[in-house]
Amino acid sequence: MTAAVPPLAAHGVRIRHDGAARHTPDGADLEVAAGEVVLLLGPSGSGKSTLALALDGLIPHALPAEFEGVVRVSGVDTRESTPGRLSAQVGMVFQDPDSQLVTGTVLDEVCFGPENLLVPVDEVLVRAEEALRRVGLWERREENPDRLSGGGRQRLAIACALALRPRVIVLDEPTANLDPVGIEEVYAALAEVVAAHDVAIVLVEHNLDQLAGLVDRVVVLDRDGRPAASGTVDAVLRDRADELHALGVWLPVAALAGLRLRAAGIRLEPLPLTLGELADGLDAIAALPDPPAPADAAPGSEVVVRVSGLTVQRRGATLLDRVDLEVRRGELLAIVGENGAGKTTLLQAIAGVQAPPRGRIRIAGLDPARVDARTLARTVGFVFQNPEHQFIRHTVAAELAHGLELQRLPEAEVAARVEELLGRFGLAELREQHPFLLSGGQKRRLSVGTALVAGAPVIALDEPTFGQDRERAVELLELLEGLRREGTTVLVVTHDMQLVADYASHVAVLRAGRLVAHGTTREVLAGDALERAGLRHPPLARATRALRHHPRWRGITRLAELPAGGPG
Amino acid sequence: MSAAVDPYAAARPGGGVRFLPALNPIAKLTAPLPAIALLLFARDLAVPLAFLLLGWVLLLVGAPLTARAAALVFLVVPAAAFLLSLGFGLWVDGSRVDGSVVLLAVGDYRFTLGMWQVGAATALRLAAIVVLSLTAGLTTTGPDVARALVQQLRVPYRIGYTALAAFRFVPRFAHELDVIRQAHRVRGMAGGRGPLAGPRRVLGYAVPLLAGGIRHAERVALAMDSRAFGAHPTRTERHLVPFRARDVVYLVLFLAATAAILLTVPTLELP
Repeated sequence: MTAAVPPLAAHGVRIRHDGAARHTPDGADLEVAAGEVVLLLGPSGSGKSTLALALDGLIPHALPAEFEGVVRVSGVDTRESTPGRLSAQVGMVFQDPDSQLVTGTVLDEVCFGPENLLVPVDEVLVRAEEALRRVGLWERREENPDRLSGGGRQRLAIACALALRPRVIVLDEPTANLDPVGIEEVYAALAEVVAAHDVAIVLVEHNLDQLAGLVDRVVVLDRDGRPAASGTVDAVLRDRADELHALGVWLPVAALAGLRLRAAGIRLEPLPLTLGELADGLDAIAALPDPPAPADAAPGSEVVVRVSGLTVQRRGATLLDRVDLEVRRGELLAIVGENGAGKTTLLQAIAGVQAPPRGRIRIAGLDPARVDARTLARTVGFVFQNPEHQFIRHTVAAELAHGLELQRLPEAEVAARVEELLGRFGLAELREQHPFLLSGGQKRRLSVGTALVAGAPVIALDEPTFGQDRERAVELLELLEGLRREGTTVLVVTHDMQLVADYASHVAVLRAGRLVAHGTTREVLAGDALERAGLRHPPLARATRALRHHPRWRGITRLAELPAGGPG
Repeated sequence: MSAAVDPYAAARPGGGVRFLPALNPIAKLTAPLPAIALLLFARDLAVPLAFLLLGWVLLLVGAPLTARAAALVFLVVPAAAFLLSLGFGLWVDGSRVDGSVVLLAVGDYRFTLGMWQVGAATALRLAAIVVLSLTAGLTTTGPDVARALVQQLRVPYRIGYTALAAFRFVPRFAHELDVIRQAHRVRGMAGGRGPLAGPRRVLGYAVPLLAGGIRHAERVALAMDSRAFGAHPTRTERHLVPFRARDVVYLVLFLAATAAILLTVPTLELP
């Protein structure tokens, strides 16, 4: 195989999944040179992930889909080979860390691929050691992969791809299911791989804030999955940022901030892509206008949720330790903390999903430990991480009616209320559809609708944006923000700190079962409680906190606080 | 997500007199089969008792048992066998066995020694089968069974290793089922009434569980495909599970012991 043959070349790729109406992508081109790092961007629905699956022959060989165009892996047409044989040339890393595990130890996992390729035993071990050392897992080679964190399992997946000694590795949203610490871990591992310069990389990703330094070239697909732009980071992300933003491509937070400031007449040249560049660019400007006065939502007076001295123990472990918390009407409270800090336990106790100890919680005047399920449903709605888990009926309309029927409301009232919610959540045309056949965003909206249908003044959501793309996460938070403005009290557990900064009115920080900080989003983000709880500040806050000049700008944490030209 | 049983856990190291872990899984799994088949047809007390003792001796000498495993083998199994013997005994038709020794009388009902002996024979057979199976079960790891199936029995590796990957699904499904039940309870499904409420509820769990399971299985399959699984008819084996002379010795001795028990143990015919 000569270096002149590119590791990967795709031309005119059109793919239509079985049952889908249109081709996505519809005519994509992608060429990757040896050792090159390519970032593949595109709006939601442009077929980036589908294209990624075609790059090692999984489409058309393993997945039912109509495939046109040609993909060549080191010169070999993927249609004339198999994914198994192509995997010696193309390594894959997928989104879900749990579904890429086969064997019982970290070492066996890395050896699995080379063994399938009939590599001799000695060579398998050499490759495994090299790959594991590169991602920092060699010391843990004897452990069951289950015991690694999400970030650790994704690093393991990268090592597994490396051990195949491919010429290119394709990573499809490798950090979408990870918490901020896991994301950093994966990027650190990726930086090591890039620094070694022996493998090309194709990265489909929407967490872009730490990427700019790693990437050689950016390829952008438009809504139809046709090539829209290709070039260096400077030529595409910096120079054509407005165009990409209009196309619906998610940009680094620093670039979004830069675009917004431009509209307000504050020109940062060149457009910042990293948080460091944003901070430096702002510091280089002599005088900045004062940011608009913070518009904290007027605090409601009525306490809707009161938690006092809540301790929860299960199987000898203390999950929550003397937590006191008050939530007022119309707040959007984000509960944050590391994995295992007790976020979900607290949320489930408040909503009565797991019966809390008596007398510790008051929610809209009731003790969730003492009321029956019907009363509880009228008081608080709960939305699980995976909306499918809570669907119990066969149509969208019946799903919404279910909660009302349990309240034994008259039929006419049920019908009217269902009609109203179908309209409110944009599901009117899908009323007879089976809930499982909805798209991801529609499922999420339906799950929120079913939680609120009985008229609960409080809604609790457990990691509702986990594993979703940016567009859908923002859509959901806009919906919750709307509910909040109408007086619903919203409690949400999340890992996404920028969403917290942009939407939450209040933040509660948990560490090892204890509430270590609670206050308005502004107060909490101004301190160092997040870092002390093992979390990270949201990207924009990290940039503004690093400012050397402009003390008034140091408290800015959300894009909406930056001065902007026009409305919005 | 923590699995109660880790099918991938390394076997506890054997060595010295602890010979069972070092044997080939095929030898360990096949050796007790004739004895288990005999036990299915045994009608007395002595033969099951003899096989139970044989299994206990093998485990006591040959297996490095954890405290939990030892408790299972030497306490839970006999206790369960005792309870079962009473349970089975209650079902025996008292008029067809020796009723001379009455153990318990309640009103007209008499529980006799003869009834208990019949129950004990069945319970002992079950206990012996369980303990004999555990001679392999407690000293063999899931991966080794898969490897031995592929290496000795020439099972295609695509099947052997897919079975192995499937072990990972068990704790995952258990966890997911928990969450689904919780979610349905929140939606108010728990209060259903009528004779069909139970089955309907279970059916309600099945749909999301299957949908999630199929999606997960597809993803695992894609990940395995993209790691060259099935690219060639064979694969490199780092862990060889050879079939050695000692495996033959174990098989032969086990069969000899089975025959000896059958021929020499005085049958304690049921009265």
